Amino acid sequence: MKRFLTISLICIFSACASYSKKQGFTVIDSEDSIINPYFSNLDKDYVYKAQIEVYDKVFGGLFIVKKMGSGSHRIVFTTEMGNKIFDFSFEKEVFKVNYILKDLDKKILINLLKKDFKVLVTEDIRSMKAYNSAEDTVHQTIIDNQDYYYFIGEKLHKIVNVKHGKEKIVFEFYKIEDHVSKHILIEHLNIEFKMTLKSIN
Amino acid sequence: MFFVVLSAQAQTKMTAAEASDLKMKVKTLANNVQTISSDFVQFKHLDFLDNDIKSSGHLTFKAPDWVKWAYTAPFEYAIIFKESKIFINDEGRKSDIDVGRNKLFKQLNNLIISSVKGDMFDEDKFHMEYFKTEDGSLVYFSPKDEKLAQFIKSFHITFNEHADVIEVKMIEHSNDYTKIIFSNKSLNQPIDEAVFNH
Repeated sequence: MKRFLTISLICIFSACASYSKKQGFTVIDSEDSIINPYFSNLDKDYVYKAQIEVYDKVFGGLFIVKKMGSGSHRIVFTTEMGNKIFDFSFEKEVFKVNYILKDLDKKILINLLKKDFKVLVTEDIRSMKAYNSAEDTVHQTIIDNQDYYYFIGEKLHKIVNVKHGKEKIVFEFYKIEDHVSKHILIEHLNIEFKMTLKSIN
Repeated sequence: MFFVVLSAQAQTKMTAAEASDLKMKVKTLANNVQTISSDFVQFKHLDFLDNDIKSSGHLTFKAPDWVKWAYTAPFEYAIIFKESKIFINDEGRKSDIDVGRNKLFKQLNNLIISSVKGDMFDEDKFHMEYFKTEDGSLVYFSPKDEKLAQFIKSFHITFNEHADVIEVKMIEHSNDYTKIIFSNKSLNQPIDEAVFNH
C-alpha cells in the first residue's frame, strides 16, 4: 500500500505533472480573451490545397472555409477535380453534416474532423490562465471539455490540445499575411493523422 | 431578371430531327477520335462562396481509355486514368490506386471519357434533353443509375458547330457544380505515350 501511494505521488508530481509545469511555463496576469483571426473575415473565401495523411494513405483535395455569420462557418472538402467529399456547417454550437461521401460516413472520423475544425474556426477564446514561455505568451482554454493551449508570439502561431499532460493534437500556423495563415499544419500525435493546408487564393 | 430572359432566349429546345442529327454527328466524331489534347479551365461553384474556385491545366486522351488531367495552376497536380489504375502526382508526391475491382470507379472513368468526347447518348443510362444555343448545342444528361445520381444530378455538355465538346458542367444534387471549359483543342494529333508515364 505504501509503495502504491509512493508511486501514485511520484506520478502526480512528476510524470503526470501538468502540461504547463512540464513545459516550464510561468504563470502571468493577462487579458481574459484572445482572438483566432484566421477564418474570421466574412468577405473572404478561404481556399486551400490540402493533403491528408492517414496511416500510410495520402488524400489530396481542396479545403474550403467560409464564414457565414457570427459564430457560423461552412467547411467543404472536394477532390482537385471538384467532387465533394464532405460538407460541414458550424452554426453557433450546432454542428451539421450537409454531405459526406458514403465510404467516409463513419462516426469516429466525423467526430475527429469536427473537433479539429471547431478549433480552426473558433474565433473568440476565453483565456482561463496565461503563462510565459521562453518565446511566447501561452493561454490555456477549454473547448468542448478539452484543454487547449494557444501560443502567441508576434501572432498566434500554435494551438496544442493536451490530455493527461501530453500533447495530443498540434495546430501550426505559418506564412501569416493580413490575418490569413497561408500554410496550416494539423497533426495528431496519438494516431497517424496529418493535414497540411496551403492557401491557393 | 434581364439575364434570365436573355439566357432563356439563347437556349431553345431541339426538334426530334435536330436532336438525332446532333447525336449522329457527335457519335461519328467520337468514334473517330484517337487522341485529344486540350487546355482547360475549371470552375468549382459552391453557392456559399463569393467566387468560383478557378484552376487550369491540360487534358490528354488516348483511345481507348487513357486520360490525363494535369493541373498547373494554382497548384501542380496530375491524375492519370490508365488500365484500371489511377496514378496521382500531387506536387511531386506520387501514389497509385488499383481500381480494377471497383465498379463505380470504372463507371466514373468511362463517364469522364464519354463526357470529354461528348458521346453519352445512352438511353438506358441517361435522361436526355437537347437545346440549340447561339453558336452550337447543349445536351443535358441526367443519370438513371441511382449510385451515379448520388454524385451527379446532371451533366450539361456544350458542343460547337462541329459537334465537338467545348464545355462540360457537372451538377450536384445541391446545385453546386463543376464547369470545365476546353480551349486550344486538337484531335487526332500524335501523342507521345510518355505523357502517361507516372
